[in-house]
Amino acid sequence: MHEASIALNVIEIAAENCRKAGYSRIDSIRLRIGRASGVMTDALLFAFDALKIDTIAAGATVIIDEIPVSGICGNCGKDFITKEAYVLCCPECGGLSFKVNTGRELEILDMEVT
Amino acid sequence: MKVKVVTRILEANERIAADNRRIFDDSGVYVINLMSAPGAGKTSLLERTIKELNKKLKVAVIEGDIAGTQDAERIGSLGVPVIQINTGGACHLDANMINEVLGELPLKEIELLFIENVGNLVCPAEFNIGEDMKMMLLSITEGDDKPLKYPLMFQESSALILNKIDLLQHTNVSIDKIKKDAMSLSPSIKIFEISCRTGEGISEWTDWLVKKVK
Repeated sequence: MHEASIALNVIEIAAENCRKAGYSRIDSIRLRIGRASGVMTDALLFAFDALKIDTIAAGATVIIDEIPVSGICGNCGKDFITKEAYVLCCPECGGLSFKVNTGRELEILDMEVT
Repeated sequence: MKVKVVTRILEANERIAADNRRIFDDSGVYVINLMSAPGAGKTSLLERTIKELNKKLKVAVIEGDIAGTQDAERIGSLGVPVIQINTGGACHLDANMINEVLGELPLKEIELLFIENVGNLVCPAEFNIGEDMKMMLLSITEGDDKPLKYPLMFQESSALILNKIDLLQHTNVSIDKIKKDAMSLSPSIKIFEISCRTGEGISEWTDWLVKKVK
């Protein structure tokens, strides 16, 4: 989807938080990205490296925690976790009434600053 | 030094979407974000819907297109308030684009606002704009493989309208497959089969719509 604008948002949010905390350089930024968020991590890293130049994140690396899709099935009652980006039925019983709890994350968790 | 951030990356859009939503709620406007591929018939659906409603609801429309004013001219000729947004290249509407034109609409006099998103099956589903409901239009000639190929849009939609149903006999499309796949992505999705050309199915859709809005 919009990896460049997402990378730009990451830099803006991180820079603001860095300055607010009284530091002047960002060394690394940790992101949580769900498998079903629609973000291509390679494209995001590429865009980040291109956009970070001349910002306080110029020397920063991005660490991505990929969050798998998980949820609970209303049919068999079991929790499930899957490698797939989309769940069409409960991986345990094939039931169709399930609730997805994780996998859509798109957030900055924390960062290292100096 | 570690700094905790814990901020959604698209937070700026979410914040403006929440502002829009408050403005709509305060004015008593129900807002539908209408999404589809280019050429599925979004504007035709709105034309049919506005005519069928025949002033049962006070409707307004925001048209989102990369360029051009054809859609707004079609809707404007039906005598309802319409605003054309040209995104100038962006493939979707975002909350800020909507926020910027809200002042141009007589919100207090509107009950239902359709926001016709840019024709695209991917990006519009990613950006909330302050709507009460996302809905999707799929013309059957696009093929019955679309729900599984573009899952997010179906997952996000509360209603799915299948248009061009009059052409079914000329295709190899399975309506049952579309329905089954759409419902596996969004179990409570409400599905309508219509033809904007012949008018088939339009009244079932508008009856449901009136109940939803009132």
